[in-house]
Amino acid sequence: MNTGTTSNYQGNILIVDDTAANLRLLSEILAEKGYKVRPVPNGELALSAARGFPPDLILLDIMMPGINGYEVCQKLKADERTCDIPVIFISAINEVLDKVKAFGVGGVDYITKPFQLEEVLVRVETHLSLRFLQKNLQEKNEYLSQTLQQLKATQDQLIQSEKMASLGQLVAGIAHEINNPLGVIRSSVNNITAILDDNLEKLPAFFKSLSPERYLDFFNLLHKSINQAESLSTREKRLIKRNLKQELEALEVENLEHVTSTLVNLGVFEDIQAWLPLLKDRDSENILKMVYALAILQKSSKNIATATDRAAKVVFALRNYARYDQSGEKIEASIIDGIETVLTLYYNQLKHGVEVIKNYREVPPILCYPDELNQVWTNLIHNAIQAMEYKGNLIIDVTQQNHHILVSITDNGKGISPEMMPKIFEPFFTTKPAGEGSGLGLDIVRKIIAKHQGEIKVESLPGKTTFTVYLPSQLQTK
Amino acid sequence: MSKAAILCVDDEVVVLESLEIELQKAFADTYVYEFAQSADEALEIIDELVTESVDILVIVSDWLMPGIKGDEFLIIIHQKYPQIVKIMLTGQADKDAVNRAINFAKLHACLHKPWNNKDLIATIKSGIMKL
Repeated sequence: MNTGTTSNYQGNILIVDDTAANLRLLSEILAEKGYKVRPVPNGELALSAARGFPPDLILLDIMMPGINGYEVCQKLKADERTCDIPVIFISAINEVLDKVKAFGVGGVDYITKPFQLEEVLVRVETHLSLRFLQKNLQEKNEYLSQTLQQLKATQDQLIQSEKMASLGQLVAGIAHEINNPLGVIRSSVNNITAILDDNLEKLPAFFKSLSPERYLDFFNLLHKSINQAESLSTREKRLIKRNLKQELEALEVENLEHVTSTLVNLGVFEDIQAWLPLLKDRDSENILKMVYALAILQKSSKNIATATDRAAKVVFALRNYARYDQSGEKIEASIIDGIETVLTLYYNQLKHGVEVIKNYREVPPILCYPDELNQVWTNLIHNAIQAMEYKGNLIIDVTQQNHHILVSITDNGKGISPEMMPKIFEPFFTTKPAGEGSGLGLDIVRKIIAKHQGEIKVESLPGKTTFTVYLPSQLQTK
Repeated sequence: MSKAAILCVDDEVVVLESLEIELQKAFADTYVYEFAQSADEALEIIDELVTESVDILVIVSDWLMPGIKGDEFLIIIHQKYPQIVKIMLTGQADKDAVNRAINFAKLHACLHKPWNNKDLIATIKSGIMKL
């Protein structure tokens, strides 16, 4: 329906009357005023004309042979194509006009015969302009709802791209998190292979050459090395080395440098006197070398296991983070698991100076969009560690209060100034240098929380900023 | 005469342990091997070694470390000890950082984790050959 668009267009009127004279009279009056007129002599024709090309207004006689005006009107109102067309009833002054019935079946007005020229024109004009206004409004509404639809789609896209952006920032750290263990694995495999190549065939002869005392020493040393506790830091190791070196020097052990570093690597640096017979043995170098070789085998496989676990953990977290439910329906998930996923991915940025204090209470899983909530935790944790400049305490509280699950993320950074406070949730507001933040983070956080019928609150003082997210726990019931 | 040293810097002890085994295997007792978990610690060690008049031949450094990053660390080293061969061994370094190290620290090579043992040893050897 494209009516009402040309400037001189005044309206298309369908006139229905079984009296030829009336039909002609009305047609002439209205045509003269510039309306496009279609006269039809009965109800049947009126219906098909109205359906075939819906007019802007219908003048409808009531008393007609066949189907009468009321029935025509009812049929028009029942049809989606014609229901919005205003109907003005025509009634002879001597007929009993049932006004209530006329309005009841959907008429907007009535005119009486014999026609008062001015009255007819005024009523027609009024209802046409009402009709045009209504149409206009409808078009605008349609346009608005289309725009709203587009905005919603854009917002979804923004949420998605923000997620990809924060993922992008994470990827750098994750590459490191995965390549480090891979490096250790590859190196360890290499070392194991090299040691087996060099020593395997020598082993039988080596054991044959050992005296019973050295045989005992060999296995004691090996056990000691295998059972040594955690890896020492490089600092601790240097200190131990220095002390041991002095001790061994005093004991006049030969090949000082090498023996010291081998013993420290084997975890043998206390009660060194006990090993003196071995160290003084003329085969000492050979024995130490073999113990060390076997200890490396042990150590390397341990390192491979640890590295594998670590890489697997990162990959698992990554998969959880990117989990995107195509169905668009909420699924049951644990809030704490989500937070832990994000912490795993951020481990690399946290480990050098941020102490994470977790106060988790046991809370039930809730129906939610887990990937979107992960985005919330990512944003809040990322903001927190940036505010602390990667040094300080990050406190994460998860508790349940009545019908809400509360997640608080607290940092001891410089805080948000009172002037900034009202703006932080505004889209495109950012305190970060260009290129580092989209300024959409907290806006999206708030939208995601709203989507979960939750709330976010913030309190900030210099040295203590807390973002608290309230999520209704009844989301657990479908 | 005291031996010359090779210094490795990485925030992860397991990486350093792996490197130590590789270096031992490749060079045995030809050099002294020192290890640091941060740039700060490395700078301390370098001072100590210099006081003990031990020559530092090569530094193999990670990039992503607590505190001073690898490129910055190597630039500091280069200003004080331009002759030391500098190698980066990293799981992740941005291009800018590597370029800075090339331009301002005369980076000998940048190797990526997971590294290949033969490449690492060959790179260290080629660095020492240049001296």
